[in-house]
Amino acid sequence: MKFDKRALGVIAALLAITLFSSTYVVNEWEQVVITQFGEPKGEPKREAGLYFRLPFVQDVNRFDRRVLIWDGKKNEITTADKRFIWVDTTARWRIADPLKFLQTVRTEIGAQGRLDGILDSATRDVISAHDLIEVVRLSNRVLSIEPDADDVGQLDDRARDKIANGREKLVGQIKDQASVLAPQYGIELIDVRIKRINYVEQVRRAVYKRMISERQRIAERYRSIGEGKKAEIEGRRERDEKRITSEAYRKAQEIVAKADAEAAQIFADSYGADPEFYSFYRTLEAYKKIVGANHTLVVSPDSPLYRYLSSESR
Amino acid sequence: MDYERYRRPPVNRWTPAMIRRAAIAGALVLVGLVGLFTSYYTVAPEEEAVVLRFGRYSKTTSPGLHFKLPFGVDRAIKVPVTEVRKEEFGFRTVEAGVRSSFSRSDSEAIMLTGDLNIAEVEWVVQYQIKDAKDFVFHVLDQEQTIRDLSESVMRTIVGDYTVTEVLTRKRDEIAVKARDDLQRRLDEYRMGVRIVTLKLQNANPPVSVRDSFNDVNAAQQERNQLVNEAEREYNKVIELAEGQAKRQISQAEGYAVERTNEAKGDVARFNELLDIYKRSSEVTRRRLYLETLEEVLPKVQRVMVVDSDGVLQHLPLAGGAR
Repeated sequence: MKFDKRALGVIAALLAITLFSSTYVVNEWEQVVITQFGEPKGEPKREAGLYFRLPFVQDVNRFDRRVLIWDGKKNEITTADKRFIWVDTTARWRIADPLKFLQTVRTEIGAQGRLDGILDSATRDVISAHDLIEVVRLSNRVLSIEPDADDVGQLDDRARDKIANGREKLVGQIKDQASVLAPQYGIELIDVRIKRINYVEQVRRAVYKRMISERQRIAERYRSIGEGKKAEIEGRRERDEKRITSEAYRKAQEIVAKADAEAAQIFADSYGADPEFYSFYRTLEAYKKIVGANHTLVVSPDSPLYRYLSSESR
Repeated sequence: MDYERYRRPPVNRWTPAMIRRAAIAGALVLVGLVGLFTSYYTVAPEEEAVVLRFGRYSKTTSPGLHFKLPFGVDRAIKVPVTEVRKEEFGFRTVEAGVRSSFSRSDSEAIMLTGDLNIAEVEWVVQYQIKDAKDFVFHVLDQEQTIRDLSESVMRTIVGDYTVTEVLTRKRDEIAVKARDDLQRRLDEYRMGVRIVTLKLQNANPPVSVRDSFNDVNAAQQERNQLVNEAEREYNKVIELAEGQAKRQISQAEGYAVERTNEAKGDVARFNELLDIYKRSSEVTRRRLYLETLEEVLPKVQRVMVVDSDGVLQHLPLAGGAR
């Protein structure tokens, strides 16, 4: 009895181990290739779930099914227009054919090495075949330089050129070129991106110098625009001032003249009725105005004034 | 030896059969406990859990206590979906509230602009996991993916603007474009991530050219100042001139009214006199003459008479005349 019980326990344990090692789980982010003594067996398992295998003789090789990162080293590349730049690219890829992947590169680290070669040379080929502006610009969007100093002409000569491709298209070319080689490793390239572009150190210093001279030109331009605008406004001021003053003078004179004419007309209409009486009346009015205090009046004996005065004083 | 007796237990209660039973019971209890502890999980309020059964996606659960099949048949992967994560570019927050810029030699902030100049741009991306399942299943290193994409997108867009635009007027436009573009590309990867904000923190010219950029600003200010001063002077002078012009015209108009009114008044008076004069000419004539003398003579100091020989003679005046 004792012996039987012990045997039963051992058999149960062996069964449990066998059962356990004959199943395996594939997670959603994984894909699996089964190998038997290193020989791939059956189709890769791409669907997640519980699977069976022959215990002890079949191995489970797990591969990622997610989007993976490739990060390149930065490369010094000379563009077609002889600009020296650093280019730092990055790419996204996935293991599209795990069987091929297993047979060629085996691991992700191995794949990274292959991708280094493929993508670095594709990047170099494409960028060195194009002008810098094609790599930098995205579209032919019209660049506005300075809000109010637009004819400054501070653009790098080549920056004026229209681009034929632009960064997105060049990146597409890199991806296309690399995608020819990637499938032989079971790799699918999803996306290639230029992460950074920079001038190499000496060029950067030259660019800084150019930027400084550009800014100086713009600053000078602003200053001369300011002076010009000022002179313009001053000219306008003088003109407008003279116009206003002279117009006012003209209008005033016209008004005065018109009033004088009207008054003259009024006088003429009325006084014309009896010119003789008018001159008498007007003379008297004039006396009132002419003769003031402390005046000495000199009269001739024939004047009517003398007559009156002598008759009065007599 | 003497101490042998101390080592021997006073009573031996454990028979081999008892030990076997105890071992089996212990194993069962252990299995039960493991089963118990692997048959539930809690999801925190800021999380969602993606549940896998035999590695296959079965459901996404919300916060609270949940049960699952034990012994690793069901697995729950917790994902903080409400948390807003932040990635900084071109600078790092050293401690909360204190911001320190990256060293300038680091190329994270430095980028080429469309006019082949160089600008230093610092920005922040805030994102949230919008789909826990996509976030877990589709991309391996989500954070690095967001960083790489964000850098690439920002540089691509800045490459289509001039350095002046990047530094000044187009900053918001660039941020909006970068956010949209980044979101579109993350969706292409099925990252399950939503960009909450993308903000340009800082956009500066490189340090060694910064002075010249500041000088442009100064020149712009100077220009504005010159123009403003000239405009102010213009307004001052022209308004004064206009005021003076109005005054001149008003004065003329005043003169005109006065002139015509006086003329009319004078004429009215004359007409009245003329009327009387026509009726009795001689008397009126004398009266008018005398009235005038009356008015004039009191003011006069003396009256001299010059006769036909040119001799002056003082004429004494009677009455009020001096």
